[in-house]
Amino acid sequence: MTFALALTTLILFLAIGIWIAAILDAVFYRSISGQGGVSVVSPFYAAAAHLSRQRLTTEAPDRLNWYLAIAGYLAIATIGLAVVPFGPETAVIGIKTSVVLWGACESLVVVLVFLHGWSPNSPLALIGAYRYVAIGLPIMLLSMFVLIAAALPARSLDLRDIVASQEGLWNVIRQPLGLPLFLLLGLSLTLRGPFDYADSADLAGGTSVEDSGANRAGWQVARLAMLVGFSAIAASTFLGGYLGPVLPGIVWLAIKTLILMAVVIGLSHLLARMPVARMLGLIWKFLLPIAFADLLLAGLVALA
Amino acid sequence: MTNLAFYTLSALAIWSGWRVFRVDSMIRATFALMVSFICVGGIALLMSADYIGIATVFMMAVEMMVMGLFMVMFMMNPAGLNPMQMVHQHRFSIGAGIAAFIGLTVAVLATNLPNNPLPAGRDTLHNLGVELLGGSMLIFETAGVTLLATMVGAVVLSSRRGRFGDSDAGAVPPGLQPGGQPAGRKVEKSGGHGGHGGDGSHDMNMNMNMKGAPKSDDAPHKGHGKMPEEES
Repeated sequence: MTFALALTTLILFLAIGIWIAAILDAVFYRSISGQGGVSVVSPFYAAAAHLSRQRLTTEAPDRLNWYLAIAGYLAIATIGLAVVPFGPETAVIGIKTSVVLWGACESLVVVLVFLHGWSPNSPLALIGAYRYVAIGLPIMLLSMFVLIAAALPARSLDLRDIVASQEGLWNVIRQPLGLPLFLLLGLSLTLRGPFDYADSADLAGGTSVEDSGANRAGWQVARLAMLVGFSAIAASTFLGGYLGPVLPGIVWLAIKTLILMAVVIGLSHLLARMPVARMLGLIWKFLLPIAFADLLLAGLVALA
Repeated sequence: MTNLAFYTLSALAIWSGWRVFRVDSMIRATFALMVSFICVGGIALLMSADYIGIATVFMMAVEMMVMGLFMVMFMMNPAGLNPMQMVHQHRFSIGAGIAAFIGLTVAVLATNLPNNPLPAGRDTLHNLGVELLGGSMLIFETAGVTLLATMVGAVVLSSRRGRFGDSDAGAVPPGLQPGGQPAGRKVEKSGGHGGHGGDGSHDMNMNMNMKGAPKSDDAPHKGHGKMPEEES
């Protein structure tokens, strides 16, 4: 596959992924609340409704950072998807340190979500921003350990090598602690469910409370794009990415991404929320030691 | 192409570095500095330092986020949105700036910079790993432990609980007149709202960092406006 083809695949993958994620989200929500009637075009209606609305603003906002946060979040999601290999040796960004690049994307998400809540100059958005940083930083530490553990059997920081190293055995079986921990990170990166301390309903929408019109549509699209990017990364790191029999690699990647996307959306609607202090205790005292154990096990296996 | 990228990144790095001193908020200054460092990371990527370049981006993103948070926390400017004076000690800093500029310029001009392009396909990542855990291990481990001690210190300083009780126990806002009653809301000790007792002292002195704060403060703008580059 040439670069142009890979780029086209990336854009299609992202666009279709966002659309399916929006539908899945509505389906889960409605089935839990005992309703039916989700149409496949309803995301487009919602987007059109947002776009046709007036764009409101606050008193003395930091407009530059506000727009940068929304555009940056979408850009980071796209870069995340771009390091995912669509086939052997085929990734839009094919560098030797692609896992580190994804780590950089994760840490920039915290910065951008913070800026998104900080720049409107509005109290609820600001509270959401600070809360998110408190949760977002430790949960990112956790993902670093998990990702290093996943890179150990491949002896490489290249996501293409990590996928190739799962030819015989997927990482989800080789490192059983990895995927569950990584999915929690996904909930945090996409601002969902129990890890949504930024945009949650208890702050009337948190960092996006002041978004309206096209800004709100852009932020929601960026969140869904991040879900697609994260799921593709998780599918490549733990479920063998494009590896699979008969079907072409890109189809396998799409299937695995879809499954993980559904799992993340399901978790976000089913898991209970916690107060920030309790969540911090859970992350620092419980989840982080488990992530250590994951890395330790991977290291011992690599030495043996 | 590489040249264009280099000059664009350099210009952006310099511009955002200049913005650090011209903006009027700690958060803006922090993230302007982050953009500057990310551009430097991009330049490192152009020099085939794959790992160092990208590691700079993620280290700086996390570090600047933490730094911004700590600055806001310690300086009682709750949002970082209030305009504040970011430069102080003008005469000293102008002198220090000129001295640093001359020193660095002399260093750049006097150094015999290498001009040998990296051979294609060389594994810089592997070499870096060997260097980190080989010859330079003592240096990096020393730096690592020192930084860890600093982090523990920062956590201890920002913790509410301390050896001598809660840090805000007994803290009262200054009086409106010298020696007068403390300003702010009086906390009622009725016991009916157990969880809320003591919150009344948090809103003290929020105005201290604001531009145009009353000059009756003992030391206006002294000890505030810590410059972000101290941590990096």
